[in-house]
Amino acid sequence: MPTVLEQQIHAPAPPRKWRVDLVVQRLALVGTIIGIWWIASLQMPHYILPGPLRVWQSLRTISANGDLWHNLAITLGRVAAGFLLATAIGLPLGIVLGANKRLGEFFEPIIPVMNTISSAIWAIFAIIWFGVSNATTIFVVFMTAMPLIITNVWQGTRTVNADFIELAHTLRMPHHKVMWKIYLPTILPYFFSGARLAFGFGWRVSLVAETLGSSSGVGYRLRQAADLIQTDQVFAWTITLVVMMAALEMGALRPLENHLFRWKREAESF
Amino acid sequence: MVSSGALDVTSPVAERDAITVDSVSKWFPSADGEPLHVLHDINLKVAEHSILAILGASGCGKSTLLNIISGILKPDRGRVCINGVVSEQFKDWRSVSYMFQEDRLLPWRTALRNVEFALEAASMPKAERRRKAQQALELVGLSGFEDAFPYQLSGGMRSRVALARSLVLEPCILLMDEPFSRLDAQTRSLMHTELLRIHGLKKMTIVFVTHDVEESVVLADSVVVMAPRPGRVRERVAIDIRRPRDATTPEVTRYIQRLRALI
Repeated sequence: MPTVLEQQIHAPAPPRKWRVDLVVQRLALVGTIIGIWWIASLQMPHYILPGPLRVWQSLRTISANGDLWHNLAITLGRVAAGFLLATAIGLPLGIVLGANKRLGEFFEPIIPVMNTISSAIWAIFAIIWFGVSNATTIFVVFMTAMPLIITNVWQGTRTVNADFIELAHTLRMPHHKVMWKIYLPTILPYFFSGARLAFGFGWRVSLVAETLGSSSGVGYRLRQAADLIQTDQVFAWTITLVVMMAALEMGALRPLENHLFRWKREAESF
Repeated sequence: MVSSGALDVTSPVAERDAITVDSVSKWFPSADGEPLHVLHDINLKVAEHSILAILGASGCGKSTLLNIISGILKPDRGRVCINGVVSEQFKDWRSVSYMFQEDRLLPWRTALRNVEFALEAASMPKAERRRKAQQALELVGLSGFEDAFPYQLSGGMRSRVALARSLVLEPCILLMDEPFSRLDAQTRSLMHTELLRIHGLKKMTIVFVTHDVEESVVLADSVVVMAPRPGRVRERVAIDIRRPRDATTPEVTRYIQRLRALI
């Protein structure tokens, strides 16, 4: 879990061009890893380190019988619910704390404290309060994601340009329009990098929560597979998660960010 | 030609004053407790359709005076009238445009959307807003750059967008706070020509603040020279030269020398 200081706000990278040599490099990397994995697996019993082929077969089995999609959908739904809840509360709260100096100063110590509480602790509390249910996982995702979103939005409100506010003032623009047209666009890049971080963490902690307090979802199936020493299935679930996160990042988040913040490109030099 | 609302006004008085500043004084609170006297007993009249320059060294309170005229700041003593109405009672502030020293373009908006910003304070159908913004960009010679983001534009072009944003409301009064001071000499002189051309079309009253003597002589009908600490009017000089004025001609140089001696 990164501290507040480590949460760097980064401008979106310029869109990468498809480079053939880069694609070859990436494929070679994947090939090397699978190769090492395969060689290592030859020396080990399959319940310690299953080989790539065995994992592939197991992946096909869980995907063919629907197990994979069913549990993936459940976990994704819980992460999305916790994340949306964290956004709905964290975004306005961050704006209020950033816009009101006195409130901000009063509540400032809370965020780092919340960031130091491990997700496992939230999971234990969640089980006490919500038992084995959807709410447990949603709560843990929420408690992890919300401080990240608040922190970033809060930082964003500090960068609102007073010159723009004065401009709106000379135009006699009503206050709610100033919020909508100046505050929100200024905060958006900060919110976005916070939300991205929050979604990534939310996804990871959801598995912790599901192993402890759930009877469905990827986390639950992971623990079950481990308990039954179906190591090939543990690998299969893990690979599924990695592939899905990468697809989300490259297929949705990065293009969206590049589009939303296209005005930022090269603007850094000013 | 397109006529702005300000042109059609048939005033009962032949020559109306667009702005009158009446014995205005202003103090600012300061760190040592002693209030800082920024403006002392300022009296000004600006005739409708005319161009007035407020000239002075930095720190003479000229920007403060402009802010008081624009209604952003309240005077501690005296009063300001806009079109004959005391500024506390004046309602139509959207017909008074303010152009800042910096272009203040919102970086996340395209040129067109930046111009539209000025129209968004009031409610107006989107299509009409777009049409007006397009016209304003055309007026400042930026057709074809509607979709450019600020970072893609040169300093002069950004300044034109800011000018278009001030003009899109079809103001009867345009207040400018050293609007071209950040441009290089060549671009600045181009913007002067542009501003005079647009003034010839729209005939709005212009008050601009500057520390550039040449700029004040080239643009203004009359120049108010301010003295500092506390800011006060030292002299008002009418510039009786036909336009366009070339800064290198002897009559312009004579005015420049006279004003330099006054600052």
